[in-house]
Amino acid sequence: MGIRLTSLSVLLALVAGCTGGPSGVPGSTSTADQLLAKAPVAGELPAGSTMDKIRKRGELLVGGSLDAPLLSQQNPATGEVSGFDAELSKLLAKYIIGQPRTKLVTATSETREPLLSNGTVDVIFQTYTITPKRAEQVAFAGPYYESGQSIAVVKGHEEIKKPEDLAGKTVIAGANTPSIAAIQKVAPTAKIVEFGSDPECLAALKQGRGDAYVQDQALLIADASLDPELQLVGEPFTTDPYGVGLEHDDAEFKTFVNDWLREIQRSGLWHEAWRGSIGTVVKGEAPVPPAIGSAEGS
Amino acid sequence: MSLLAEGFLSTVALTLLSFAGAFSLGVCVVVLRVVPVPVLRAVGTAYVETFQNVPLLVWLVLFVFGLPEAGITFPLFWTAALVISLYEAAYVAEALRSGVNSVARGQGEAARALGLTTAQSLRHVVVPQALRRVVQPVANIAIALTMATSLAGAVGVVELTRAANRINLDLAQPVLVFAGAGLCYLGLAAGIGALAGLVERRVAH
Repeated sequence: MGIRLTSLSVLLALVAGCTGGPSGVPGSTSTADQLLAKAPVAGELPAGSTMDKIRKRGELLVGGSLDAPLLSQQNPATGEVSGFDAELSKLLAKYIIGQPRTKLVTATSETREPLLSNGTVDVIFQTYTITPKRAEQVAFAGPYYESGQSIAVVKGHEEIKKPEDLAGKTVIAGANTPSIAAIQKVAPTAKIVEFGSDPECLAALKQGRGDAYVQDQALLIADASLDPELQLVGEPFTTDPYGVGLEHDDAEFKTFVNDWLREIQRSGLWHEAWRGSIGTVVKGEAPVPPAIGSAEGS
Repeated sequence: MSLLAEGFLSTVALTLLSFAGAFSLGVCVVVLRVVPVPVLRAVGTAYVETFQNVPLLVWLVLFVFGLPEAGITFPLFWTAALVISLYEAAYVAEALRSGVNSVARGQGEAARALGLTTAQSLRHVVVPQALRRVVQPVANIAIALTMATSLAGAVGVVELTRAANRINLDLAQPVLVFAGAGLCYLGLAAGIGALAGLVERRVAH
């Protein structure tokens, strides 16, 4: 019946709806500020265009998350949102407005398309995987990042050695993440159990609710660096191209955002944003950014 | 589309099981609340206050992640059914209590004057009349319970809302997918309402 103190604190964090790990939010504010200071600003904007409206409004409306570690996570103490997606959205805001002024609207997988089509947000930065089906509803600039899904197990559980071994097993995944489609593709007979946040998925894995946990590799590396019980199995088994979600029929804005992506890739700002976020847990140099327009649907 | 069917069946099963549990437990709790024994009354009141005053989602998370820490692991579906039963039982008990209170005090007194024990007067005189008067309020709780089963999706149970979410991840047509899920809930709630009307006509004089 002994409830360990650490487990209890994890539990309390879960109940409080806090999804931050004990390490806090990666990427210190000062490096992020330096990054923004040297970010470029676009010149004259065509009158009446979407970017012109955003500049006049003085604020970029971004659909995203507050609970995605390394990508877009809110620091509960300061209210600051940091991570790779968050940094890029601020860079885009600076490019359009001249100031990194963003307003984050929490989006979820079921609200992203309507948020864009009814104009509640200008852009979506939310590990939004580009797929041809989604491209019928929205437009995608990018891909701006490519990630992959990896498998984690509790140390000592050796029965899963490759993705195909997930067949027939119970697999834990984050609700509404690209992991679900990835599992269904590689092991259609796997039973998927979803939990809302990464700490919940981890707790469920350790409590034996599933045989494995599939999640974005960067997140799993961050988890494993904090939790010695966790073990990653092999390399990522998917390639997920993440795009900037835009309104479907705004070709001018899509070209504009693509041009901006090319510019920050060329100037190395992209790499710096990566080093300050995902690069804090993934070892080695920043990867080569994906070619704009390379994903089907972008 | 088999995922939608699976989710729908899961929601129906969760509703039926949880309601059966909530109703049985609710009757027990209301008996505790009306018997003339202060300790039992206190237990009944404590139960209702505890379960009614903490959100269902919090209970679900506590049970799903807390019980295994104490060495007890139920399957997720059964944990959810248990928690929803415990939670909704508090509401059922309160609805029943208002029914019991609406039975004239003289009825219980008359029953006891005729030589019935407290238990007998409750069972044969007060509770049957109370039940008759709370058919609609209890049906409302059953409908609320049906909607509350969607929270089980947050703790790994694939029910209707979670299934709709998963389908939408692929289709990217939230309005269509959730309108469909909404229709399923509407059908369930309408069914409960119709059933309640039927029961009311049978028991009301």
